[in-house]
Amino acid sequence: MRTLSLYQEGDSIIHKIDPITKIIFVLITILIPIIMGTLNSAFAFLIISLTLVIIAGVIKKVLPIVGFTSIILVTVIIIQGLYYFNNRTPFFAIGTVVFYKEGLLYALEIILRIYSIINSVSLLMFTTKPSDLVEALVKKGLSPRIGYVFSSVLQIIPQMMSTVDTIIDAQRSRGMEVEGSFSRRIRAFIPLIGPAVISSLIDTKERAMALEVRAFNSRYKKTFLNEGTTFKYADVMQVSLISILIISIVLRFVH
Amino acid sequence: MSEIEVRNLHFSYTKGQEVLAGITLDLNLRPTAIIGQNGAGKTTFVKLLKGLLKPTEGDIFVKGYNTKEKSVAFLARYMGLVFQNPNDQIFKSKLIDEVMFGPLNIGQDEKTAKRNSLEALDLVGLRNRINENPYDLSLSDRKLVSIASILAMDTDIVVFDEPTIAQDYRGKEKIKDIIRYLKDKGKLVITIIHDMDFVAETFERVIVFNRGKVLLDGDTRFVYSYRDKLRTASLEQPYVMQLAQKLHIGTPLLTVDEFTDWFNKR
Repeated sequence: MRTLSLYQEGDSIIHKIDPITKIIFVLITILIPIIMGTLNSAFAFLIISLTLVIIAGVIKKVLPIVGFTSIILVTVIIIQGLYYFNNRTPFFAIGTVVFYKEGLLYALEIILRIYSIINSVSLLMFTTKPSDLVEALVKKGLSPRIGYVFSSVLQIIPQMMSTVDTIIDAQRSRGMEVEGSFSRRIRAFIPLIGPAVISSLIDTKERAMALEVRAFNSRYKKTFLNEGTTFKYADVMQVSLISILIISIVLRFVH
Repeated sequence: MSEIEVRNLHFSYTKGQEVLAGITLDLNLRPTAIIGQNGAGKTTFVKLLKGLLKPTEGDIFVKGYNTKEKSVAFLARYMGLVFQNPNDQIFKSKLIDEVMFGPLNIGQDEKTAKRNSLEALDLVGLRNRINENPYDLSLSDRKLVSIASILAMDTDIVVFDEPTIAQDYRGKEKIKDIIRYLKDKGKLVITIIHDMDFVAETFERVIVFNRGKVLLDGDTRFVYSYRDKLRTASLEQPYVMQLAQKLHIGTPLLTVDEFTDWFNKR
């Protein structure tokens, strides 16, 4: 069955780390630069997460995301460079438009933070199977229902996409033009969306029944089919990551 | 000119993995069944005929038009295709509107479309339910709606993808009648199907697909007499024919009627 997944097969050390540790790492790359609020901390986390991405061997997959985000981040440079409220020192000017040093530095910090978040989230998504991720969360106490919602969405979306393809074919076979002018495309919308919605409702009903006959709502404590990959140093890593977080909070208040 | 001409047809979804590997054949007015195991390329072949997919090599001519050069909507005037799952097409809240959607799309005027639609619904036995919501009908009746919605387009070629799925005896008989009716009207009927007994009773020509190639092609009786070749394609003969062989009856009997005739004359 096709699933919507960014997971890349691999056998790097990063692939072997358990999902929970990776989630904690993601949280830390988001939180610490915000807590510390310095350019150095943002830069440090960018370097760390970038190194990990390279070790995991998924840098090629991350680059397009970085590229796409850069287009948006250009606006951050422009807006903060021009209008940051602390703007005092002019840095350079294009014609009459003046960019300020404070704003540009602030923009740089935002950009570094965002890139390191992208790196660490990519690290999680590209090196963890979605099913492993959900299972790890359920083992940690996430309700199995919510866990199912997450994992089912990943399966249902590709399934809906192939249903929509079939519907498009079926309506084209009845002489409906789906290509061409804008108004023609709009007119084609209802014959496509109608069956798509109805068949996904039917699918949902059947899925619910199929789950229920296998005691999905049973109140007994659930056991797990997969033992899951255990990572030897998971505890050590988690404790140290959380310690780093605490240290950064303490440092922040000391200063 | 044949209704459909297929010339050296090759097709692959992913490069290097040919789903269809060199098919050349003509389809003319004999009702034709395409059989073969799952993955033999039957549905792909039909989608190519309809122009929903374009050949990676070779050409298909439908009524003289090369499918590579014409849009699916254009070809819809000449060829109707009934999909497996009626839920993939039904979107109107009234049966009659659903059936009239195709005819209106291919340029029939309101009056002709209505007349053709009523006729088609009559043929499938749903004439008295034209104002109902298609989704209030059972799945097998919805399948008949989807058949009617293609018949109403009054195309010279009608293709069915697995018409007998989810049909009981009565439904199958109805579909059999429809296919014979279309044949009598001088239309080409092509069907993808797994029900060998249904094929034996309804179709005159059988084409066996195996691994993207045509394994056998000819009169129904001729094709079904090749037991061993059919086995290589994971297909079996119609039950009556198997029975006739087990009883060492010399003539290859195809249908229950043929068998009873033979039995009574004995």
